[in-house]
Amino acid sequence: MNPLPDPAVQVLQVATVFVFAPGISGVIATVEARVQGRRGPRVLQPYYDLGKLYRKETLVPENASWVFLAAPLVAFVGYLSVPLLIPVLTTYGLPLGYQGDILGGGFLLTLAGFVTALAGADTGAPYAQLGSSRAMTFGALVEPTILFVVFTVAAITATDLPYHEAATVRSAAGQIVRPAHLLAAAALFMAILADTGRIPVETHASTLEFGMIDEGRTLEHSGPALALFRHASAIKQLVLYTILANVFLVPWGLSSSGRPASVALAIGTLLAKAIGIGCVVAVIDDSFAKLRLYKITEFCAAAFVLSVLAVFTLFLGGS
Amino acid sequence: MGTAPGAFAGAASTVAALVLLIEFAMLRAPMLRSQIRLYAVQSFVVSALAGIVAHDRRIGELYVLAVLSFLLKVVAVPLVVSRLLRDADTEIAGTGAFGVASEFLIAIVVAAFGFFAVGTLHISSAVLPRSALALAAAVVLVAFVLIIVRSDVISQAVGFFSLENGVSLASLVVAAGLPLILEVAFLFDLLVAVVVFGILMRVHHGRSATLSTAGLTRLRG
Amino acid sequence: MRAVLILLVTGPLLAALACLRLPPRRAQAVTIVSGAASLLGALALVPGVDRHTPAVGFLRADALSVVFVLATAFCYATTAVHSVGYLRSEQGTAEAPRYARRFYVGLNLFCWAMLAAPLVNGLALLWIAIEVTTVISALLVAIDDTEGATEASWKYVLIASVGLGIALLATIFMYYAGSQLLGGGYDLAFGPLVRVAHALPAQPVRLAYVLAVVGFGTKAGLVPMHTWLPDAHAEAPTPVSALLSGALLADSFYAVLRYHQVAVRTLGPAFPDAVLLAFGLASLVLAALYVLDQRDIKRLLAYSSVEHMGILAIGVSFGTPVALAGVLLQVLAHAAAKATAFFGAGALLRGYGTKDIEEIHAAADRMPVTGVLFVTAVLALSALPPFGIFRSEFQIVSGGLAAGHDAPAAVLVALVTVAFLGLSLAATRMVLQPGPAGEPAWPGDGPGSPARRGEPSWWMVTAMAVGIGALLVLGVHPPGALTRLLHTAALALGGGT
Repeated sequence: MNPLPDPAVQVLQVATVFVFAPGISGVIATVEARVQGRRGPRVLQPYYDLGKLYRKETLVPENASWVFLAAPLVAFVGYLSVPLLIPVLTTYGLPLGYQGDILGGGFLLTLAGFVTALAGADTGAPYAQLGSSRAMTFGALVEPTILFVVFTVAAITATDLPYHEAATVRSAAGQIVRPAHLLAAAALFMAILADTGRIPVETHASTLEFGMIDEGRTLEHSGPALALFRHASAIKQLVLYTILANVFLVPWGLSSSGRPASVALAIGTLLAKAIGIGCVVAVIDDSFAKLRLYKITEFCAAAFVLSVLAVFTLFLGGS
Repeated sequence: MGTAPGAFAGAASTVAALVLLIEFAMLRAPMLRSQIRLYAVQSFVVSALAGIVAHDRRIGELYVLAVLSFLLKVVAVPLVVSRLLRDADTEIAGTGAFGVASEFLIAIVVAAFGFFAVGTLHISSAVLPRSALALAAAVVLVAFVLIIVRSDVISQAVGFFSLENGVSLASLVVAAGLPLILEVAFLFDLLVAVVVFGILMRVHHGRSATLSTAGLTRLRG
Repeated sequence: MRAVLILLVTGPLLAALACLRLPPRRAQAVTIVSGAASLLGALALVPGVDRHTPAVGFLRADALSVVFVLATAFCYATTAVHSVGYLRSEQGTAEAPRYARRFYVGLNLFCWAMLAAPLVNGLALLWIAIEVTTVISALLVAIDDTEGATEASWKYVLIASVGLGIALLATIFMYYAGSQLLGGGYDLAFGPLVRVAHALPAQPVRLAYVLAVVGFGTKAGLVPMHTWLPDAHAEAPTPVSALLSGALLADSFYAVLRYHQVAVRTLGPAFPDAVLLAFGLASLVLAALYVLDQRDIKRLLAYSSVEHMGILAIGVSFGTPVALAGVLLQVLAHAAAKATAFFGAGALLRGYGTKDIEEIHAAADRMPVTGVLFVTAVLALSALPPFGIFRSEFQIVSGGLAAGHDAPAAVLVALVTVAFLGLSLAATRMVLQPGPAGEPAWPGDGPGSPARRGEPSWWMVTAMAVGIGALLVLGVHPPGALTRLLHTAALALGGGT
């Protein structure tokens, strides 16, 4: 069978993330409930939620500006552009994949997050503003960790294109066991926990406004705007899991030829990896308690220590 | 920097990095029981590393060392210290003078200094990769930070014991061939030191009814 | 010769074991006998050791070792005599026999470890011996069970153990350096190590040397690692303080000297001398300043010990054989003088019931012999002729000037003068100044308190007199055998043979 043309695969990457992201959230919620001993919601519940939200009307606060309505769109598009840059389905770089390196991808993620926080601050409502300012503060604390992780990977592979990094990791078994790699992966995992708003940073299960960080930003939105935000955060989650899996931990199973069968297999393995990471996150959710707000700095400091150590061990002895 | 170091070297370096991470965890642990447990885990990791090195580099004497250090540092020493803890009734020691995040930053700076100081020396060893020596130096320096910021006798004593763990790690890297009898003598010396530490901790507790050293300010100048 | 070595190492250990069982009087006698025997043994080692080096098993006595064995044994013997008087003149309590037993066992064990340290053959065994001295002395510092003693012993054991942890790191790096030439499995013995020293790789030796100076320097009282010293030496019982200042600091310095011996041959004299000069000057400056402002006699004497360790370090950094011989002579003379000064402080403590300088007056009236001997000891510490320390410091300074180190030598003389000011002010105030009018001339007098005139104990006086006598001998005319010994040791240290 002929390999699919590259642009088609690229569109397929974006489409995969677009379609399956809410499903991943649904799976995580179900697993978490099962671990707790409940039956939990059905796996496809997030899709039904999105559908319900699209049918409702949007209410805009009186003193909100155009930012309030533009933000969901910008965030959604921003998050959805990142799959263009990272190895989602293929091992080889796709045409638009060289438009940005991993720093560019990070910039897009941060831009989308910034816009969301801006929308929350725009409303003037107290809880939304609280969530926005907290999200920005803790996001700033997590940034150094992510930067050091990027430095580590870039130093290992002498490039910061995600495709080449994944190739390096695939090249030898020894690459997985080197301390820099493991430490960077652990640091990135902790940063992902902070960025997607999971235990021990924030809890998805409750609606207690005082504890909300990420969720609080979108409290004032409703209807399709809220649907866009929800979808966007699910996409962010899947994108981060993809980066963790396809660049660091298990960069196998990607299609190297572009043939439809192998692309389909790649989609399957991507979902499997994402569900795997999601299960780990769900178990962590059920095993630990949420940290007090001021202890979150300790969590960020621990992640920072891991990433700094990764850089140090890399520069001494070459391991 | 792109070539991987090889499975054994990578795994050994990771285990050594684990020792440093446990040292950082000790900086964070406010409860005295968890400090002791972390020390036991750290000693276990060092003994396990000795066993791994003995197996892979085929140095038979290191097996004996690994077993002895397991018995002494993982079993005996935590027992001695937890017995005192049981008698003392105190559970939480506080995380030190500055607060965890600041202490982590200070410890990172200090560990970085140790890393790069040892790294410039170009000491290579046939037994373990060079990064393990740098990690050992970092462990020693972070143990220093732990002793300085904490103000209770148990944390300070555990800090000293973990400093010895760092020195053991360094000796695994550069002195794996040291005659067994000398290594055993070092271990037993450590045990004697632990006993004396225990006696003095009891004396301190008996006199001031607390494990805190914040009141030791009588002698100045 | 070999029998003497074995005797020196086993005798005090047997004495300690005996003291476990014996009643206090017998224990005192056994300790004195053991001390005297050790001193005689050390003296017996002196003549022959500059020609050949007796060795048996893991013991070895070369010229450098014998100097320190002699200092330690002298302190051991005189302290044993002094402690008889010190313990007897204490107010009797129900605890006294148990305290005396613990005290004598500890004393003998401590002296055993300190005698073994210069006699063991190898850097690793040396570390082990010094670690043993640390743990035993920590228990001895805590033996008095006062608040100050508890605080001092905790600080001491923590800081000294951390320092020895660093010293262990130094040992390991030195092993690594040697293993490149001598193969794995060698045991860091001095002879082979010194012989190949010129060919050792420089980087590990440099690192090992600095770590050793910092690590063993913690126990030797070099600034800035000295912070445990004033507390421990002040709060321990006086005989223990005398041993700590006179012998233990010297033994720890001996460990530094062993590393210096190797480093000088590997790296050349520049780097090791610079390191020692830096630490020595820091110690001297700080100690001289602190000496000016002390209230506690024993703390004053402890800072004086820091000062003398600084002088020793500076002397070694000068590097010429004259200066090195002066350093070794100073080790002996300082042991005698410091021990005597502490004995005097102990007698004053017993007589007046306090360590506070402000509260002790007119000791010359009340305990004339002790008072005079105490002032003499303190002045001897400040390099008064004709005592031993004058001769040794003169040698150090002249060696430094001969080698062109003019500035450090000048600084040394200036700071010694500053310390002399502080020490002599305190001592003469205590001994000669009459008390303020209206106050009883000695506290404790008055209705109902026991009469405390006269010497607290003639045992203590005897110990002090022996010390002053030794200082006179060392200063006026050291015996020929001793001079040859010092000369041989200086050459071995400085890179000669």
